Amino acid sequence: MDVHETVLRVALVGVDTTTADLVRTALEGDRDAFGVLVESHWDRLVRLARSVVGDAEAEDVVQDSLVVAWTRLARLSDPQSFGPWVSRIVFRRCLRASRRQRGRVSLDAVPEPSRWCDPEVSVSAWQVLARLAPRQSAVLHLTAVEGMTDAEIARILGITPASVRAHRRRARAGVARIVRGGTS
Amino acid sequence: MRDPDRDDLVMSFEDRLREWSRRSPNLPTSIARTRVLARLPEVSRPVPWLRLAAAAALVVVLVVAVWRGSPRPAGEVKGSIAWNCPPPLDRNIVVWQLDDRTTVYFALRPGEPDKGGVS
Repeated sequence: MDVHETVLRVALVGVDTTTADLVRTALEGDRDAFGVLVESHWDRLVRLARSVVGDAEAEDVVQDSLVVAWTRLARLSDPQSFGPWVSRIVFRRCLRASRRQRGRVSLDAVPEPSRWCDPEVSVSAWQVLARLAPRQSAVLHLTAVEGMTDAEIARILGITPASVRAHRRRARAGVARIVRGGTS
Repeated sequence: MRDPDRDDLVMSFEDRLREWSRRSPNLPTSIARTRVLARLPEVSRPVPWLRLAAAAALVVVLVVAVWRGSPRPAGEVKGSIAWNCPPPLDRNIVVWQLDDRTTVYFALRPGEPDKGGVS
């Protein structure tokens, strides 16, 4: 299938059908089709990786994950579920990266919450996320930023929806403790 | 105990998280695509699992067939009578091989009526 035709179908048919077509075409060795998949998922995957490993490593982790996804594309049983499947690969590689970087992340003091709206205060969400466990950061991100359901999050993280709820509860308790000035 | 799900600070943090996540990646999408494609190994073909499984099964069948067809070590026939390889003998001779050391030959002789017939 011609890639331009595929891109046109994105507009006409909708993302799901096109993603499945692109995956099938990529499976036949078509790099351009895989390139379209990379472009359509890049931003979302980088956002997820940032919340788990931070800015410094996120884009490298996502690039590595996409190369891994290409080599494992034949294992994807449902081509329509490319999005959650590749997110899961990214999350697993984030876990590895966060194990490597443990202890190397500088945890600067978090500014007072009352000053968060002050444009001169550069409070980064990462200053808080870095103090949470990687799964807790991922659950918080997928809930608050991507607006996913527990079942969708569970599928990406490879855990049950009940575990998702438990991780979210712990993450929120951790955030509350951190922003009130306590330690992690 | 406060419910962290309803904590204002947590809600405020989640707003902050959404805002923080909205930033564009440092690497523009088109460059990311070029870099990823440059790193892809040659071809991604479906792994022929069925073919691999069939080949493995064939190898197993061949190994079993060869093993069963090969001569057994002498120890394995101990205690049983080997019937399958009689030596070429006269049709009037009967052989019983009781074990690998003991073979009994019976010779059948027709006619000798004065001695009571076949012994």
